[in-house]
Amino acid sequence: MLHLLAQAEPFRSPTVDFHAFAPEIVLSVSIVVVLLVDLVFDERGKWATSSIAGIGLLAALVPVLTLAVDGADRSLFDGAYVVDNFALVMKALFLLSGYVTILISARYIAEGDYYEGEYYFMLLCSLLGMLVMGSARDLISIFVALELLSIPAYLLAGWRKRDLRGNEASLKYYLLGVFAAAVMLYGMSLIFGVTGSTILTEIGAALDGGEAPAPIVVVGILFIVIGFAFKVSAVPFHTWAPDTYEGAPTPITAYLSVASKAAGFVALLQLVFIGFLGRSDVWGPLFWVLAAITMTVGNLIALRQTNIVRMLAYSSVAQAGFMLAPFAVAGDIDVDRGGPLAAIPPVVTYLLIYAAMNLGAFAVVMVVARKTRSGELSSYGGLFEYAPGLAVLMTVFIFALAGIPPLGGWLAKFVVFRALLDAGTPAAIVLAVIAAVNSVISLFYYASVAREMWMRPVPDGDRAPIRIPASLGSALALAAAFTLLFGVSNVATRFGDLAIFGFLP
Amino acid sequence: MVDTIVFVLAALVILSGALGVILARNPVHSALMLIMTLFGVAVVFVAQEAHFLAAVQVIVYAGAIVVLFLFVIMLLGVDQADSIETEPIGGQRPAAGVVALASVGLLVLLAVRAVQVSSGARSTSSALDGEGTNLEKLARVLFTDYLFAFEATSALLVIAVVGAVVLARKPAAEDVQDRKGVGALGRTRSGSGR
Amino acid sequence: MDVDATWYLVLSALLFTIGGAGVLVRRNPLVMFMCVELMLNAVNISFVTFARMLNDTGGQVVVFFVLVVAAAEVVVGLGIIVAILRRQPGADADDISLLRG
Repeated sequence: MLHLLAQAEPFRSPTVDFHAFAPEIVLSVSIVVVLLVDLVFDERGKWATSSIAGIGLLAALVPVLTLAVDGADRSLFDGAYVVDNFALVMKALFLLSGYVTILISARYIAEGDYYEGEYYFMLLCSLLGMLVMGSARDLISIFVALELLSIPAYLLAGWRKRDLRGNEASLKYYLLGVFAAAVMLYGMSLIFGVTGSTILTEIGAALDGGEAPAPIVVVGILFIVIGFAFKVSAVPFHTWAPDTYEGAPTPITAYLSVASKAAGFVALLQLVFIGFLGRSDVWGPLFWVLAAITMTVGNLIALRQTNIVRMLAYSSVAQAGFMLAPFAVAGDIDVDRGGPLAAIPPVVTYLLIYAAMNLGAFAVVMVVARKTRSGELSSYGGLFEYAPGLAVLMTVFIFALAGIPPLGGWLAKFVVFRALLDAGTPAAIVLAVIAAVNSVISLFYYASVAREMWMRPVPDGDRAPIRIPASLGSALALAAAFTLLFGVSNVATRFGDLAIFGFLP
Repeated sequence: MVDTIVFVLAALVILSGALGVILARNPVHSALMLIMTLFGVAVVFVAQEAHFLAAVQVIVYAGAIVVLFLFVIMLLGVDQADSIETEPIGGQRPAAGVVALASVGLLVLLAVRAVQVSSGARSTSSALDGEGTNLEKLARVLFTDYLFAFEATSALLVIAVVGAVVLARKPAAEDVQDRKGVGALGRTRSGSGR
Repeated sequence: MDVDATWYLVLSALLFTIGGAGVLVRRNPLVMFMCVELMLNAVNISFVTFARMLNDTGGQVVVFFVLVVAAAEVVVGLGIIVAILRRQPGADADDISLLRG
C-alpha cells in the first residue's frame, strides 16, 4: 500500500471557480435547509418549507445576476462546465419558472394531505439538475444533469400516492424515461467512440468533416436526439405526456410542461449547436420530420380533448413542434444571416414566452379547480359571469398560446417563422406552411375554451365567486405581466439574442 | 487464444441470459437470468482491462441491484406466471420484431465499421495504458476532470434515499381521499371511455 | 488485444437490441425495468470497449457514472412499482394503460 502511494505522482486538486458555481451552491444549501426544516419541525414548521424553497430560488438568482454583470465567459474542468450568456439566461428561466411553480404549489400541497417538505426538496433537486444542465457541456455532465432533473420529476409525478391515476402517471413517465435515457446513452457511447472525447467542443471539432457522415455518427446522433425527443415530448415519443400530465398534481404538470421541457431543449441546443454543429446534414432532416409531425399530431389530438389538462398537454406537445422547427432549418441559414447558430435565438425566445403563458394557463386551471373540483372543459361554462377577472386572464393566456397579437405568443411564432423564411429552402418553406396551418388549427381548440367561458351558461348554476389565495394570485400576476410584456416589447427577443454560446468548436 | 475462448463464453452467457430475461414467464427467473448476464458483462470488463468496473459490476449490480429486484418480487408476491403468449396490444409484437431485426442489422453493421472510423480519433484524458493501476487512473480522472459530475451524483443518491422513504411511508390517514384538496383534474376512469 | 474490438461492439449491439425488444414486448413493469438494465449494460460494454480502443480512461469513467445513476434509478423505480402494485396486485403495463397515447 505504502509503496503504491510513494510511486504515485502527487494529486493536484483541480482549481474551482466558486463564483461560477454560486447559483448551484446557493440552491444546494437551500435544499439541505428544506430537508432539515422538514425533519426538525414536524407539523408546525410545514408552512416554512415552501417559503424557504421560494427564498432559496430567488437567492440563487442573485449569483446568476452577479455573473451576468461580470460578463466573463467561464470554462471549468476543461470545458465540461461552462458559464456563458446562454447558461445564465436559461438558469434565470429555470429559477423563475421554478419559483412560479412553488407559488402555485403552496396552496395545493397545503390543502391536500400530501407530504410537504419532501415535495419542495424534490422540486428544488430537480431545479438543481436544470441549473447544471444549463452549464453542462460534456456528455457525462449532460447525462448526470438529465437524471438529476428527471428522477425527482418521476417521484413528483406520482406524488398523489393514493390515487391510482397518480401512480400510473409516475410509472409510465418513469419507464419511458429510463428507456429513453438508455437509448440516449447508447448514442453517446457511439459518438464517444467516433470522436474520442466527451467534451462537446471537442466532439464538434472531430465531427466537423466535409465528407459524407459515417453511419455510426448518424445512428449516434439519431439515438441522442430520440432520447431528448422524449424529454421534450415530441411525437412519436409523446405518449407519456398526456397521461402523466393528467395524473400528476397540477403544479407538477405545469412544471413538467414548462421547466422540464425547457431543460430538454437546452440539452438539445447544446448538443446540436456545439457538438454536432458540422453535421446539419444528419440532424436537419431528422428535426424537420419531428417538428412537422409533432405540430400536426399534437394539434389534431388536442382538438378532440374535453379535459382542459389533457388539452393543454397536447397543446404543449404542439408547441414543442414549433420550437423544434428552427432546428430543422438551421443548416440552411446563410452565413450572412448568422449561419446555423441563428436558429438558437428563436428557440430561446419561444421558450421564455411559452414559459410565461403556459404557467399562467395552468395557474388559472388550478384556481378554477379549487371551486369546480373538475378539469372538464364544460366546467368553465360561464366563468365570466362569476369570475370576470379570471376569465379575462385565462383568455389572455389562451390567446397568447394561440399566437394572437399583441399577446406574447405571436412574437414567439413570429421569430420561428422568420427563422424558417431566413433559411428559404423549399423544405423550410414547406415547414413554414405546415406551421401556419397548425397555427390556424390550434385556434379552434383555444377558442373553444374562450367560448365556454364567455358564452356558455354556468353548468350547475353555482355562481359563488372564486377566492384566489395570495400565492396563486401573485403567480397569476407574474405570468400575466410577463405574457403582456413579451407581447408588446422586444424583451424576449433581446434575451434570445443574448443567449449565445461562449465556447464553440 | 485464451482471450477468444473467454470472449465466446462470456458472449454466450450474456446473450443467453439476456434472452432468458425477456423470455422467462416468471419474473424471478428473469431476475436470475439478469444476474447471469451481469456476471458475463463483468467478465467482458476484465477482458477489456476495466478491473475496477468489473468489481463494481459484481458488487453493485449483481449484488445490490438484482437483490433489490428479487426482494421486490418476493415482497409483492408477483411470482405467478406472466403470460407472454397473449398479445396485449395489437401489432405491438410484430412491430417490436421489425424494430429489433432492423436495429440488429444496423448496429452490427455500425460496429463493424466503427473500428475504421475510430482509428483516427485521439485520446483526450489520461491514457489507459499509462503507469499505475486501473483504479488509480480511474480515480485520478474522476476527481479532476469529472469532479463536478461526481458531486452531482451525490445529490442523486440523496434523492433516491428520500424518494424511497416517501414512497414507502404510510401516510397518517390512509383512507382519507384528498381531504380538502383539489384532486386530479383528470376524467374518472369509468368516464374515460376506453 | 486478441479479440478484435469489433466483436465486443457487436455483442453490445445485440445485447442492446434484446433489451430494447424486451421493453417493447414485455408487459410486467418489473421485467420491463430489467430489460432497461440490459440496455444499460450494453451501453457499458460499448463504453469500455471504446475506452480500450481509444486508450482513454474517460470511457471507463462514464461507466462508473452509469452504474451510480442506475443504482439511484433502481431505488426510485422499484419504489414506484411497489407503490402501484401494493394498491393493485398483479397490475401489468396494460392495466396501467401504458402506451395509451
